[in-house]
Amino acid sequence: MTRTLWLLSWRHLRRHPWQMALAVLGVALGVAVVVAIDLANASASRAFAISAETISGRATHQIIAGPGGVPTALYTRLRLEQGIRAAAPLVEGAAVDLASATTLQVLGVDPPAEAPFRPYLGGAALLRDGGLPAAFFTTPGAAIVSRETATRLGITDADGALREVRIGASRVSASIVAILEPDDAASQQALDGLMLVDIATAQEWFGVPGRLTRIDLIIPDDATLARVTAVLPAGATLERPAQRSAAIQQMTAAFELNLSALSLLALVVGMFLIFNTISFSVVQRRDLLGMLRCLGVGRGQVLGLMLAEALLVALVGTAIGLGLGVALGRGLVALVAQTINDLYFTVSVQALSISWAPLLKGAALGIAATLLAAAVPAVEAAATPPRTVLRRSSYEARVRRLIPWVAAAGAAAIIGGAVLVPIAQRDLVLGFVALFAVTVGAAALTPALVLLAMHPAQALLGRVAGLLGRMAARDVAAAISRTSVAIAALMIAVAVTIGVGLMVSSFRQTVARWLEQTLVADVYVAAPGIAANRLDQPVPPAVIERLLTTPGIERVRRYRSGDLATSVGPVFTIALDVTPADQATFAFVDDIGATLWSRFATDGVVISEPLAFHQQLAVGDALTIRTDRGPQSFTVVGIFYDYGNDRGVVMMPYARYRQLFDDPMITSLGVYAADGTSVDGLVERLRAAAGTAVLTIRSNATLRAASLEIFDRTFAITRVLQLLATIVAFIGILAALMALQLERARELAVMRATGLTPGQLWGLVLAQTGVMGLSAGLIAIPTGLAMALLLIEVINRRSFGWTLWLSVDPALLVQALLVALVAALLGGIYPAWRMSRTPPALALREE
Amino acid sequence: MMHRWWLLIAMLLAGCAAPPALPTARLSVAEALRAPDRAGFLRADRPRTFSFPADHGPHPGYAVEWWYVTANLATAEGRRFGVQFTLFHIALAPDAPQRASEWGSHSVMMGHFAVADIAASRFHAFERFSRVGAGLAGATASPLVRVWLEDWSLAALDERAVPLRIDAAQDGVAVALQLDAGDPPVLQGVDGLSQKSAAPGNASYYYSMMRLPTSGTIRVDGVSYAVSGDAWLDREWSTSALGEDQVGWDWFALQLDDGSELMYYQLRRRDGTADPASKGVVITGAGDRTDLRAADVQLAVTRTWRSPRTAADYPAEWRLAAPAAAVNLEITPLLADQELPTTVVYWEGAVRVQGTIAGRAVRGHGYVELTGYADDAAASLGR
Repeated sequence: MTRTLWLLSWRHLRRHPWQMALAVLGVALGVAVVVAIDLANASASRAFAISAETISGRATHQIIAGPGGVPTALYTRLRLEQGIRAAAPLVEGAAVDLASATTLQVLGVDPPAEAPFRPYLGGAALLRDGGLPAAFFTTPGAAIVSRETATRLGITDADGALREVRIGASRVSASIVAILEPDDAASQQALDGLMLVDIATAQEWFGVPGRLTRIDLIIPDDATLARVTAVLPAGATLERPAQRSAAIQQMTAAFELNLSALSLLALVVGMFLIFNTISFSVVQRRDLLGMLRCLGVGRGQVLGLMLAEALLVALVGTAIGLGLGVALGRGLVALVAQTINDLYFTVSVQALSISWAPLLKGAALGIAATLLAAAVPAVEAAATPPRTVLRRSSYEARVRRLIPWVAAAGAAAIIGGAVLVPIAQRDLVLGFVALFAVTVGAAALTPALVLLAMHPAQALLGRVAGLLGRMAARDVAAAISRTSVAIAALMIAVAVTIGVGLMVSSFRQTVARWLEQTLVADVYVAAPGIAANRLDQPVPPAVIERLLTTPGIERVRRYRSGDLATSVGPVFTIALDVTPADQATFAFVDDIGATLWSRFATDGVVISEPLAFHQQLAVGDALTIRTDRGPQSFTVVGIFYDYGNDRGVVMMPYARYRQLFDDPMITSLGVYAADGTSVDGLVERLRAAAGTAVLTIRSNATLRAASLEIFDRTFAITRVLQLLATIVAFIGILAALMALQLERARELAVMRATGLTPGQLWGLVLAQTGVMGLSAGLIAIPTGLAMALLLIEVINRRSFGWTLWLSVDPALLVQALLVALVAALLGGIYPAWRMSRTPPALALREE
Repeated sequence: MMHRWWLLIAMLLAGCAAPPALPTARLSVAEALRAPDRAGFLRADRPRTFSFPADHGPHPGYAVEWWYVTANLATAEGRRFGVQFTLFHIALAPDAPQRASEWGSHSVMMGHFAVADIAASRFHAFERFSRVGAGLAGATASPLVRVWLEDWSLAALDERAVPLRIDAAQDGVAVALQLDAGDPPVLQGVDGLSQKSAAPGNASYYYSMMRLPTSGTIRVDGVSYAVSGDAWLDREWSTSALGEDQVGWDWFALQLDDGSELMYYQLRRRDGTADPASKGVVITGAGDRTDLRAADVQLAVTRTWRSPRTAADYPAEWRLAAPAAAVNLEITPLLADQELPTTVVYWEGAVRVQGTIAGRAVRGHGYVELTGYADDAAASLGR
């Protein structure tokens, strides 16, 4: 008996290969998107962890200080006075190799001190044959890179040839004196994108003689700890490297979570597709199942058969999906790395590192979703008395009776989701739950909406296309058990593209408006930063002098930015000139009122909205900043809108900064042109004054455009995901509708036999799929808007702390509607073509 | 004296000359020494006039220079200690370039510090490196002679350069010693030019202060001991190389109770025989000097010791006879294991001496240095 059942199943698969293929494709696409994003995220995290480990080596503690760095004298004191043996000075920064346009992380080390930390550089390595070449130590600009990095720089031999490298605003010469060939993959990855230089070279390159970026320490006991803290100056902090890299990695958590959220949305789309295809294949065989039941096949056996079939689809689909996901991940990882480099820190992710967790997660999702999709109709078919099963109409009637209940549940889910929004507050997970509830709720409402819509649609189409038009609409309603799932799937897919699209375009609009308000100086001068949105490379003071004497300048605004240690951890701080005229460049979410600017000049700071959100700071709160004069307490006097940094920014007056920090560096200048001076002319003169210094000197219009370009680049990954969701939806819908129409072959053949012309058949099929596509598109618009609102108000606010202004781009809605319509129409083409060509008699006989 | 530092420099130069960072076949010491690139360095290729105290200070331009102190010390109760304190200045390039960074440097310093606690049968040895610059390490003659590597230092107490003060501490082992004026400097070789092989310039400038009355404190295992005794200071600077057939050396620095001192180094050739370039000197209590050549000295090993660390077989007892100076001595280590597990592994230890000089019985102490026993040095580097 069992063997017969398997044969039946096999026969079905043989007779409907396209159906199975489409089911497999649906599963594969859903799994692939989730796996690809997970893998790309995991690869970026892993690359960061490894590079953090290379850089911190075996240090248990690190001494760091403000933007000016740690004075060399502290290091000398630790060694000479305190007898601290395991201490290594470091000067870190980023550089760009000009010939290959490669960004490198520069690590300036003192080789004799490195033995306890990075043994490949340490003391005796200088003396070992085949070890560190003496030129590394004695020749200014000498550098070492790994073989992989060398290849990217286009170097095959460590010939010591001079290369031009850009450090902030300066061009310097580097020469590769050795190429490291690490034995294992981990070291290889660790050294990737790293340029090792002697500490003297690093100090000269970064223009910080007498300063260190940090001091690495191994502190084995409290006595040693006491000796270190005894000489720690006011501006320096002792911390554990794990804390530091955790804090840095924390920066990308929100970004990664956002990506995961989008991948989950893709999964929801994928699940609907899977549900649609699989449930369809079960529903289609209800009569066969009924016959089997009449012949005495048990419920369990029927259920088992259907689930086994689904499992086969799940396994094949998941396997293909995993492969596809890995391939897709390779493409995505570069985009993820790009965003991290633009927004957060330099990380070199060259390859996708394939770990088990994302693959297992993808496989579990694929198999579970498929089995669930099959279980619902299969349980229904198995539970129904055999005679009833045989009547198609009985099923439709049951479904119709169910529809109000499903709709009620959907409405409840939507209301529940809406209620969750205010409750969710800071909880991102609840935010996602709300998003999911609204999405699923809208899907559950879809059948009811479709039924409701088909009455007016029937009338409307009847007026346009007569009987056939009415038929098209009526059929959609008549076969609601099959059409509603397909429409819901298409609706979800389109809604996701609308939601994500609106979120991104609203974000872009908000940023554009913000840029207009904040970038008001005529010309901006800065050393090109390494991370695109962080200007923290100092401009050499001599260059500043030259720039300031350029004719045609009315006034300049100075900016100094960098990370400062505060009571809420390291925070990107901008010290800037704020004259009364500059006050209008701030837009405050909340502020202290009339005394704002006088407080700001003395003991106040203004902080950005994301910082206030993440650290739960409000106006009037105190914020302690570690300065070169010791910890200093400031009052938060204003919270301003800012979209430049998702972790948050503190701003203080430049004059105050100079009192508190021994740091004469300036990172950028806002230049106001004198009346009657052409901005373009001023830009030219400033460029001439800059001489050989590498500076970006841009008019505000160019800078705004460039900022938006960075914005677009950062959201490239989001757009790709949106596109992927659309493609998945498109293919899925195409498949679903095709299957639906092909199943109607017999019905259509009867109509052909009774006089329907091929042309009319085309019209009927396309009208029907068109009606379905249009319904899906129309329901997707409010659903998409709701998703956009949730993404903006809940997810983005929760994860980034940004207030975004929703702006609805009608073009986007029209485009979404078109996607739904085109996918639906395309889905009708093949069945229409096939059935219009098959003689009706043949079609009838085949059945 | 032909210290191991030739070997070290050999390694260094091999490092520079080999294609960087390629897993090169390990060069043998002799091979590395055959074509060293030391262009631009000054050479010890002509006699020079020594001038003190200035010559206690550094001599830039040479590839390597060292301040080398060994001392046999004891508490009033007779608890004996050996102390070795050595600072090497190693230039990796002939000239110091002008740099904006105070860390910019062309040389490193290497320090070895060892205390032999004879009563406890413990040997404490430390090694450290630092770049010269940024105040971390260096050598200067003005205003006073001072040579330091972080908190290890050798410093003149006044403009005479001697008395000298030595301070060194690490991991609970510390010495604070004052070396007072004793015998005047002895110029080794020919007026301080010590030829290492027939090639011109293969020589060093070399002088010794063979007995400096010393007192101070030694701290080991949490206890400080007031000690006194005799120190020996060796000073050498050069840009030189080892002969092709030389694999190591045995160096003796002996201080005897009749007021005389003896220095002798024997260069070992590959076949185990003494190289003719081996030499030494005997200074009597009255200051009379007898130069020793390889042919004048019979050195017999009467016992050996196997290092549990490196499995190297070291000589561990000698009979040294120099008939020309009527010297007949038996030399015995105070502690068998005085092997330094440093970058280049060698044995440097306190010894006691007894025998006869010109027929009169003498006793004494000193230091012996044995190199080239722990495999070859290159192999020990590659551990």
